[in-house]
Amino acid sequence: MGRAIVITSGKGGVGKTTATANLGTGLAQLGHSVVLIDADIGLRNLDVVMGLENRIVFHLVDVIQGRCTPQKALIRDRRIENLFLLPASQTDDKDSVTPDQMKALIIELKSSYDYVIIDCPAGIEQGFRNAIAGADEAIIVATPEVSSIRDADRVVGLLAAQSTPTRLMVNRISPAMVKRGDMLSQADVIEILALELVGAIPLDDEIVATTNRGLPAALNGRSPAAKAFAELARRVSGAEVEEEGVRETGVGFFAKLGRALGLSPA
Amino acid sequence: MWNEIKNFFVSARRTTREEAKGRLHLVLAHDRAGIDGAKLQELRAEVAAVIRKYVEIDPEAVEIHIERVSKQDSQLTVHSPLPSRPGVTAG
Repeated sequence: MGRAIVITSGKGGVGKTTATANLGTGLAQLGHSVVLIDADIGLRNLDVVMGLENRIVFHLVDVIQGRCTPQKALIRDRRIENLFLLPASQTDDKDSVTPDQMKALIIELKSSYDYVIIDCPAGIEQGFRNAIAGADEAIIVATPEVSSIRDADRVVGLLAAQSTPTRLMVNRISPAMVKRGDMLSQADVIEILALELVGAIPLDDEIVATTNRGLPAALNGRSPAAKAFAELARRVSGAEVEEEGVRETGVGFFAKLGRALGLSPA
Repeated sequence: MWNEIKNFFVSARRTTREEAKGRLHLVLAHDRAGIDGAKLQELRAEVAAVIRKYVEIDPEAVEIHIERVSKQDSQLTVHSPLPSRPGVTAG
């Protein structure tokens, strides 16, 4: 029996879809079979972040309403073994699906796949209720900002009310800004939300560039964020990962010297 | 002038990170309690009325706050002045 994990945040634009794509990719790279579900009905995006938008035939609502089997709607990622996407419908709305229907679908998928990762829409209404219904656990994505953490706290409360175990992924940390005292640190976010940390992802321009191409950053694994996502996947799959969180990269003596000499990018 | 110099050093001590933390703690204490500003003022007026049944006070001088006392817990604090002599209204 597989595990169903919902990626949620309350606030929009904090990186849920990117986290879903990269966590799924990372878990598939570790050899697990993974289904990603885009639960954002009406505003689907996971397909474009994964670069699979041209291959959609059927979607979540087709499956829920019995127009096709889940297997028929799943898009297989050709770049990596055992990674599948169940896209959202772009034309229906959130209440064309009920929490019970989502639960039943996820139980069915868990019998054939190791992980079902659900990309939750922003907000705490019907779309959120559907997305969390079948989840065994949740990962809250929060950026180190007051508004994101406030919304995350609301969602933590709602998940606690239905006893869903919840962990935290802090996204877009700038170690330089934390050092200057101009950004909350990952430790601050952990302390405020009182959650266990499962991932800390540094702010990284590469994410914008790889998303432009429809390639999850974790596929290539070179950039700081890609490495942090790989670490997130290892931790989710149960591995003990030594180093916790974001290290400041490229500020050592040689990096500084390289910059001064124009040998490495500033 | 002196104030500007003082502000410069005070703001240099308190980073925006600390400011964000302080604001978050306050906002979350209210959110978690499920009490908004209007409700809190209603509660303040009612508490003041109850106190006035026992002690002569100025109801306008009663203050009410939600404060964070530890990582997990917040508390409701009511401040009410008391009269220094019987028959003299406090406040």
